[in-house]
Amino acid sequence: MNATKRQNSLLLALLFCLPIVAFVHLYVGQIELTFTDYLDSIFSFDSQNTKHLIVRELRLPRMAMGIMAGAGLSIAGLLMQTLFNNPLAGPYILGINSGSSLFVALTLMTGIPFFTSDFGMIANSLIGAFLFGTIILFFSTVVRMQISLLLIGLMLGSFTAAIVAMIQTASDAQDLKMFTLWALGSLQKVELSQLPLIIAVFAIGLFGALLAVKPLNILVLGETEARLLGVNIRRVRLFIILITALITGLITAFCGPIAFVGLAIPNLVRILFKSQNHRILILSSTIIGAIFILICDISIQFMEPYLIVPINALTSIVGAPFVILLVLKRLR
Amino acid sequence: MIVTKGLHIGYKSSIAEVQDIKLDAGVYILIGKNGSGKSTLLKTIAGQLDSIQGAIEINGKEIKSIRKSNLPKLISFVGSKFPDVDFLNVVDYIALGRSPHNDFFGRKTARDAEVIDQAIDTLQIQDLKNRFTSQLSDGERQLAAIARALTQETSIIILDEPTAFLDYLNKKIVLENLIKISAKFNKCILLSSHDIDLSIDAQRPFLVVRKDTNTIELLAAETSKNTIISIAF
Repeated sequence: MNATKRQNSLLLALLFCLPIVAFVHLYVGQIELTFTDYLDSIFSFDSQNTKHLIVRELRLPRMAMGIMAGAGLSIAGLLMQTLFNNPLAGPYILGINSGSSLFVALTLMTGIPFFTSDFGMIANSLIGAFLFGTIILFFSTVVRMQISLLLIGLMLGSFTAAIVAMIQTASDAQDLKMFTLWALGSLQKVELSQLPLIIAVFAIGLFGALLAVKPLNILVLGETEARLLGVNIRRVRLFIILITALITGLITAFCGPIAFVGLAIPNLVRILFKSQNHRILILSSTIIGAIFILICDISIQFMEPYLIVPINALTSIVGAPFVILLVLKRLR
Repeated sequence: MIVTKGLHIGYKSSIAEVQDIKLDAGVYILIGKNGSGKSTLLKTIAGQLDSIQGAIEINGKEIKSIRKSNLPKLISFVGSKFPDVDFLNVVDYIALGRSPHNDFFGRKTARDAEVIDQAIDTLQIQDLKNRFTSQLSDGERQLAAIARALTQETSIIILDEPTAFLDYLNKKIVLENLIKISAKFNKCILLSSHDIDLSIDAQRPFLVVRKDTNTIELLAAETSKNTIISIAF
């Protein structure tokens, strides 16, 4: 009982922190805006007012994308870690992002017009994520050791990187720049008009993850035990891969491949909450993931006058040492 | 509760034949050489592996006609390897045994809480309740696993070598608990074991895999140690 109480208050505290961090995120930036600018831009919007435009077209979408990217990747990582019974699994390390990257590279650099539309880009990113998710799923049924799946994921990553490199050498400077910028990762490319679609897809992903709470809680015991408790493993596996591919594909399409968030945050959440209840783990990964990305992006904006740091670089700089620490402490 | 007819078990081809047996409430100990098909038999009876030939009836129903999602309400299974998980506390672990009875979202009812408490009381592991499963000793893990199986409220419990990694005292505690549970709740408990002496002390019927013909047969509790050893090893 005491543990549940502690978890609930921790969750509540985090829930309280998120809007604060989100507000700070809205405020930072090179142009200073007042609180009234924000209110006015929402309630009495003037399309001639630059400040209003900055809020509407730049800051709000960037904040919303940050929240969804952090939350989504953390959920995807959590689901994969539980599904594969491997605390080091994640959409990036298992090559789900690579699938998206490959297909986005194809869309951005082949110049087929349909693909360069928003819809085409998301669709391709999703197809790539799902395709690679299925490949990993297949390998997961074959390999026995946890480390093997991670190595296969890394190999998938190298393999696609090579193909992407080949596409890059064959494409022209304009396309190449577009892809390179995409691959560095950014929360800035989203426009206000795209937000409803992204929010809708994200909500489906989150909702889907919450629907899987019961099988996820049982899967913690491993597939054999889960099967003995009546879980339909095939169906659950496919469902979880669909959800993770949906979330990862969506976020990768708009923000580029963001590393380590999906791997690190769920582990941090488990350590903080000391629980295997996925209702709590999903909700807290959502919040902590969002807070983490927002803080990263706030730091990026503070550093901007001196140094431009892509979001992908920053998450790796913070995430990689954390993962090494995790391996040393828990998995040695 | 368990009835077999002309049963042949194995993965792709038959590795052992089971003489027609009928197991009612009580504790049955399965004995045989390594690789003789003990685990295969347990998995087959638990519905995790299709038989090569023949029929198994669970509470009067042919096992293949029972829906996979209903099976965990009839048979609970304790595997030989305890899952190695961080941050899973004992109560939550035991509560997972209720999942076949829970709704789609896995919500717990008052009755679930009652059954879980009862299982914990039966095995007298109240003091383990709030510990993490990763911190338990092998003996404690086995008791927790049995408690989990108990919460499934099945008439049959199958255990794959539940005493394998335990010291003498813990082996005894586990076996005594199983005998107590079987008598108290009128359950059919089937376990495999390598501990001949302990099994003989328990004075329960044996299922023995015959070493020469690979047939599995039921022997009375009074069978002598020498007879069992000569048949099985």
